[in-house]
Amino acid sequence: GALLACRRSYRSRPTHGIGRFKYLLPKELPKKRKEKVQMKEISAGTEHQHGDINIQMTSYDLCLVEHFAQYVHRLCNSLSIRVNESYAMPTRTTEVLFLEERGSKMHLDAVLTTHQRVVQIRGLSSTFAPILLEIVQSNQPEGVHLLMKQHTEADFKSRLKSRPELEELLAEMS
Amino acid sequence: VAPESVSSRALCFFSPCSSWLPQRVPLRGSHWQSSLLESRTSLPVRAQPKKKKKVDVKKEQAQKERMKKKLKKLEKAAPELIPIEDFITPLKYSESNRVRSLPPLSPEESERRVLLLKKWSVFKQKQAEAEKKTIQALVESQQEALQELRLESEELFQAAIRRDEGLFPFEREGPSYTPPLPGYDPPEGKCTDITKVYTQ
Repeated sequence: GALLACRRSYRSRPTHGIGRFKYLLPKELPKKRKEKVQMKEISAGTEHQHGDINIQMTSYDLCLVEHFAQYVHRLCNSLSIRVNESYAMPTRTTEVLFLEERGSKMHLDAVLTTHQRVVQIRGLSSTFAPILLEIVQSNQPEGVHLLMKQHTEADFKSRLKSRPELEELLAEMS
Repeated sequence: VAPESVSSRALCFFSPCSSWLPQRVPLRGSHWQSSLLESRTSLPVRAQPKKKKKVDVKKEQAQKERMKKKLKKLEKAAPELIPIEDFITPLKYSESNRVRSLPPLSPEESERRVLLLKKWSVFKQKQAEAEKKTIQALVESQQEALQELRLESEELFQAAIRRDEGLFPFEREGPSYTPPLPGYDPPEGKCTDITKVYTQ
């Protein structure tokens, strides 16, 4: 400890701090640790304000749903409604098979992908809610299914990967 | 069954049995296992089951501890979000041989395009402003109505201000280009969900 701490250049001498160079290098930011995915608190809302509300937009068309989600997000920004999160739900792929008229074999008609985007808002006042609904409905594009509901823990859990091993162990323990 | 344990069991059996079943001794000598198994239930046995209990309890405890350790390890790992396939570009689109060669634009064409863009931006601006005006008008008329209601009766005003529980959940299908055909008979078939299931 003492050996490392002793500096031979005295403060009065012109050679003080002769070996310093770290102040010349660009500032290194502290290493970003991977943030754990934690559920944020779900607010229940007061009598005059709704709590966390999820605006879920589902469609087969990716571009439409993406642009509509962006539009809704910007609308909420301009109306100074607090937007908690704006995320995408995992895509669902569906195989559509149809039965031939003469025959028993199922033919592959198409492979459809269903995309879903969610915009989560908080603190929507009770008087303004119907107005927002009206505006969003009037701008709803074709083929986009709109759903507005309260945010729950189950909604958050549906975004996470399933852990069968953990569930098995928990079942065994109890 | 290990031969040593069989012999020790035989020794503790022999001492009480030999007095009342002398003729069965040669039988016992020839058929070790079956006779011992039969007698186990009837005679009081002391040493073996206690050992078994201890070993069982220890094993069970060790197993439980192992399971708890496993559980702790799994619980420590943070839950991950399911990756969204929309945001991952497939590799076949990032190959470099997919390059579009466009013809060069004439100045009139580029001029026309720029003017068109400007007209479009003006049109969209007017649309957005009209929307903002409608929202403002709606809010103003709502406030006026609420004020009038307040003057009428305080109770109704308070009830109106309160949030509507029946509003959410709200569902609406998007409009379609054409209404559904009246006599349409869809072909028979089925839809199967083939989404990839991610596990951690």
